Amino acid sequence: MKNRIVNIIVLANLLVLILLVIFVPHLMIEPGKLMDPHMDLTDDCFACHTPFIGSRSSKCIACHKVEDIGLITTKGVAIAKEKKNMAFHQELLEDDCVACHSDHKGVQSFRPIGQFSHQLIARDTQELCDSCHSNPGDTLHQKIKGNCAECHSTESWTPATLKHDEYFRFDRDHDAACDTCHIKDDYSSYTCYGCHEHSRANIRGEHREEGIRDYENCVECHRSGDEDEAKYIWRNKLRGTRDQAGDQRYYRYEHDDDDDD
Amino acid sequence: MERSLISKKVMPFLLMFVTLIVATAILDAVLHLLDMTWVGRWLGIPGVLLIMLSFLYSMRKRKKISFGKPKTLLKLHEVLTWSGALMVLVHAGIHVYAILPWLALVAMMVNIISGMTGQYLLDRSRQYIVEKKAHHAEKGLVGDEAERALFWDAVTLDTMKKWRAVHFPITLIFVVLGTTHIFSILLYWQWK
Repeated sequence: MKNRIVNIIVLANLLVLILLVIFVPHLMIEPGKLMDPHMDLTDDCFACHTPFIGSRSSKCIACHKVEDIGLITTKGVAIAKEKKNMAFHQELLEDDCVACHSDHKGVQSFRPIGQFSHQLIARDTQELCDSCHSNPGDTLHQKIKGNCAECHSTESWTPATLKHDEYFRFDRDHDAACDTCHIKDDYSSYTCYGCHEHSRANIRGEHREEGIRDYENCVECHRSGDEDEAKYIWRNKLRGTRDQAGDQRYYRYEHDDDDDD
Repeated sequence: MERSLISKKVMPFLLMFVTLIVATAILDAVLHLLDMTWVGRWLGIPGVLLIMLSFLYSMRKRKKISFGKPKTLLKLHEVLTWSGALMVLVHAGIHVYAILPWLALVAMMVNIISGMTGQYLLDRSRQYIVEKKAHHAEKGLVGDEAERALFWDAVTLDTMKKWRAVHFPITLIFVVLGTTHIFSILLYWQWK
């Protein structure tokens, strides 16, 4: 008898809670307030959620016609200027609204349901990064037009995947701040004269000793602080030049000293 | 004497609870570091399954099932509830969104503290009845049989009965809130 009463109490509580979840879910399980334009849907969760399925894009599209997004509001008011340079939503390969949008502020702030995937964009359009992304405006990016994929991936904007080692490997003696070599953060050029160790006079003297005249593009041979490696690259370069394109450069290496000095 | 009581009784009790909280924080931090917070979202499922498995002991105690040694099942009950609670805690994270899951979480924590209290009381009860062992031996009970009799003696001691009168409703509250939370997820979750 006692057990039966306990069971009835438990079931009654369960039933009441389930009814509350169905009829006043915004009070029971709402994961954060809705975005302002959707506030009037606060107590009508099934306007967006299909029971046991979730939020289907078809429910969003019922109000937000894809062909109108960015052009006309759901109330029929024309949008003066779309924020993007291209008709973004109209170019998507698939209507997957919740891949980017989560209407509950709590979810969006901390745990988005999904993440925007660039795979939703047509391949040709994927290369038009600046249709959606603004140029950061620093000295490096000001001089660059397109070709973002050289450093950035569609997975994340930062960190940029520039492989500095392909140009110059840092070591103990070259643990410098960027603007030591890239003056005023201009990454389209560099100088090795920014360091007292590499004064013009020193570099000129050392290279002339070896009979080298063409030394302005330092990283052509100096891929790191290793001098032997630079010599090796230089010698190989000479051999390659002589083998492939005659001995003009090699000749300069051999005879320039006599001509100049 | 007082120091002995604290170190022998209170410390292990506290340690187990603190370990649970610290393990949760570490696991949560690791998932964040590895950018795998999505794992936490799904940890609720194995967590609940482990907790459900732990009820085998409760069923054995109420004679709903007859397999398994009670002592082993009790140990399993303790381990499974601790591990399940760890997963559910990581699953809950520190994000306060909705009232129902938080009520379920609070009920689970109260349940765990209650369970640990029961563990302590059972331990104490066992000490009281150690002397009974000799009595059982006199009666000719040895080995597994004596062990089983001793175990049931301990769990049916008066203090245990009183504790169980509190632990059972707490568990029911947790079950009701947890079930409703699971139902709400099934109803509203974005299944893809």
